[in-house]
Amino acid sequence: MKGASRYLPSIPVLLAYAALFVFGLLNPGRWQLVAQLAFYCALGQAFNLFMGMTGYVDFGYVAFLGIGTYGMAISISELADKGLGLGVIVIGLILSVVFAVLLSLAVGAVALRLRGAYFAIATIGVNEGFRYLIEGARIWNGSEGIIFSRQLREMVGREAAMSLSTFWADVMVFGVAVIATVLTIVYMRGKIGYALAALRMDEDAAKVMGINVTRFKIIAFITSAALAGLLGATAWALKLTYVFPADVFGIHYTVEAIIIVLLGGAGTLLGPIVGGLIYGVSKYYLAVYLPGFQLLVFAPVIIVVIVLFPEGTVGMIKRKLIGTALEKYIL
Amino acid sequence: MSLLRVENVTKRFGGLVAVDNVTMEIAHGEMMAIVGPNGAGKTTLFNLINGVFFADEGKIWFEDVDVTHYPAYKRAHMGIGRTFQISRPFASATVQENIAIGAMFGAAGSETNVDQAMEMADHYIGLIGLSSHRDKLAGGLTPIEKKMMEIARALAMKPRLLLMDEAMAGMNPKDIDKMVDFIKRIRSEEGIAIVALVEHIMRAVAGLAERVLVMHQGAKLVDEPTKIALSDPRVIEVYLGVPPGEADA
Amino acid sequence: MILEQLAGNLFQGVVLGTVYGMATMGLSLIFGVLKVVNVGHGAFIMVGAFTSFAVFEYLGLSPVFAIPVAFGIGMALGMIFYYSSIRRLLKGPELASLLATFSFGVILEEGVKFLFTSDFRGFNWDLGKIDMGFTVLPYAKVAACLGSVIIAVLLYLWFNKTRAGMAMRSVVEDGVGARVCGVNVDWEYALSFSLGIGLTVASGVLLTMFVSVGINPYMGGEYTLKAFVVAVLGGLASPYGAFFGGLVFGLLENGSYTLFAQIPGLEPFAMTRFFSFLILLLILLLRPTGLLKAK
Ligand SMILES: Nc1ncnc2c1ncn2[C@@H]1O[C@H](COP(=O)(O)OP(=O)(O)OP(=O)(O)O)[C@@H](O)[C@H]1O
Ligand SMILES: [Mg+2]
Repeated sequence: MKGASRYLPSIPVLLAYAALFVFGLLNPGRWQLVAQLAFYCALGQAFNLFMGMTGYVDFGYVAFLGIGTYGMAISISELADKGLGLGVIVIGLILSVVFAVLLSLAVGAVALRLRGAYFAIATIGVNEGFRYLIEGARIWNGSEGIIFSRQLREMVGREAAMSLSTFWADVMVFGVAVIATVLTIVYMRGKIGYALAALRMDEDAAKVMGINVTRFKIIAFITSAALAGLLGATAWALKLTYVFPADVFGIHYTVEAIIIVLLGGAGTLLGPIVGGLIYGVSKYYLAVYLPGFQLLVFAPVIIVVIVLFPEGTVGMIKRKLIGTALEKYIL
Repeated sequence: MSLLRVENVTKRFGGLVAVDNVTMEIAHGEMMAIVGPNGAGKTTLFNLINGVFFADEGKIWFEDVDVTHYPAYKRAHMGIGRTFQISRPFASATVQENIAIGAMFGAAGSETNVDQAMEMADHYIGLIGLSSHRDKLAGGLTPIEKKMMEIARALAMKPRLLLMDEAMAGMNPKDIDKMVDFIKRIRSEEGIAIVALVEHIMRAVAGLAERVLVMHQGAKLVDEPTKIALSDPRVIEVYLGVPPGEADA
Repeated sequence: MILEQLAGNLFQGVVLGTVYGMATMGLSLIFGVLKVVNVGHGAFIMVGAFTSFAVFEYLGLSPVFAIPVAFGIGMALGMIFYYSSIRRLLKGPELASLLATFSFGVILEEGVKFLFTSDFRGFNWDLGKIDMGFTVLPYAKVAACLGSVIIAVLLYLWFNKTRAGMAMRSVVEDGVGARVCGVNVDWEYALSFSLGIGLTVASGVLLTMFVSVGINPYMGGEYTLKAFVVAVLGGLASPYGAFFGGLVFGLLENGSYTLFAQIPGLEPFAMTRFFSFLILLLILLLRPTGLLKAK
């Protein structure tokens, strides 16, 4: 596939986001659900960029969302009275990315030298470790967290603060999902995509082919972390207007990211949105029938998917479509 | 000036000395065969030359650069390509993509974009006669097709030195002759030095190599022009000393 | 004064470290034999803690009786998980078995939450205390420490004196060779996996003696991290290395707590948890093969 046509598979994904967004606008009563779905899709898209493309699991992934949340919280609580207006939000977004990138560099410097199981072991404590550093050394107010709803109101006014956290934050989450999608396809269709695919299939052979595997893994890791940072800043900080370390470093968000990516199909472009929608909608209904026990249902589902359908939904669809006109739209 | 110089290189696995104080040289464009019974240390020597393993002792020079501590990918960039004894295709990528990966990241990789790499891949697919399999997943090829694909993938890296590990194992005499011709052709067309490991296929050794290095229990036994090497009594002894059952393993 | 406190804490560290060691042997055994990392390790410890809670509160029996019960539950869970999934994932990418064991952990946490709710529960097995001058040690902790040593010795005897144990060792040392010698490798895998899980669940009973805030379905996450530190200290693949790692970690943990408590402005409890994560990264960076083995 050559030229622009190699980017065709982004069309169905972007159309799906547009449809979800329009559906939400037309049904204000369902906006909360739509926002939740957008969050799951974006989470999957960002997580997939590393896990799906490299075949490495980062069990501490939520730490990047957590630190991104702090990035936004700090800029609003520190800069609210500087007369910068909405510029503070922009600074918050930048800060969340910077924080996430710095943390991913620190973690990646150790973990990405390690192979397979050792990588997983190195990452599994990152979220808890970071949480306890914040609490233990009383960084950023320690375990009391940061509550910045007042600063946000004073900065932009009550009305604007309200619409920021009930609407515009969600719009930004859509934005993160779209950025993640575009980055994913640019990577997949670029040299880095071939490098990551090669190292996912056979890391030693990839090295022999001249692939600097560590370098490409780090690029994917940092990109995925930066997206998580943005997601924390928008879906958590702006929406909730507070941050507590015990909440934003909880491992169950990593669990959700894993479920979404596996349901949809790891390493595919369309997978995260499919997985995100399946997960989000079923979780929504499970919350009605089995409140609080959604994970009890989903954890066995992960095992079933791993054992019986390792390609996920999109992987199976893709196989069905080989040789048809639709093939070039699915990735 | 030699292309590759291996100086007193030793590699141990626990108590086992897999490569024992080996010294050898390869000139630009030379064609050389390394032979030796199973477990002689041939594959390990390859792994040391291209950086899959690091030598415990000794030095390795490539184009007069000391590459002893270079990682495998750097040596690939410098122009060392290789195929594997047990094929290692990127199984869920297509044949074209496999070969394109070689083009994208090998010695000419930094100047090659994805589209160019795909075109180069098509060229090499034609060269090895796999055009009809271009869009097949590499995992689905037959063992011999996989070997051919690996050769194409290594050639697409534009190497100056190509290490071929048992490229002809499992082939019948007709295919071996074809392979020998093919290797000779690419060597003269692309001007690369080739080192082929050939276990017991004397037919190939005689037809292919200008020089033969015989390894035995990790050490270099003989390093002579082909004619002399093949009539060396020590070589004959090493070969006849190996029970036939083991030789086929 | 502070020296006495440090000595007391370090002594407690040895006692706790012994139990940490035992609690990690199952993790190392599974990795050593199957090359599978049980990422859900802590959840199995949690199941042990709830077993001892149930035996003590509902049956009114001493937690000592909970040990065989927990071991049996663990063996059964191990068999179920092995035959339902692990077995089919051994040949696939490492990612698959990592995600599977991680999911086992989630299933157990959510399952226990379903049965017992997520409230903290405590129970007190009061056997009295022993005052050693520089520190006071409850007999329950002494019992847990002794129990760990006994289990470790039994495991050692099993590995070295019984046919079944030696067969399993042969799989660790040389899987192909063992197969050639007629060892049923699949069964050895099943057995080591469930033995590893059995040991882990049993260790949960012993660890409960050290949990001061009570037990809850999510208590395991902490122990997953600690067990990885311990396992990596001891070289990951060796159950006896794990025992050594446990002792080192028990000392490091209690020693660092004493020091952090001296520094104003720090929360010593949280800092200790952070410190264990830091140790993990440092070992993985500097000596991924463990402290015992030469590089
Ligand atoms: N990664 C390794 N770990 C431990 N031992 C190894 C390793 N690789 C090779 N060996 C041992 O080193 C010795 C040399 O093996 P090598 O593969 O280099 O031999 P070879 O000459 O290529 O033999 P063959 O004809 O079987 O391919 C053998 O005894 C082998 O078992
Ligand atoms: Mg070999």
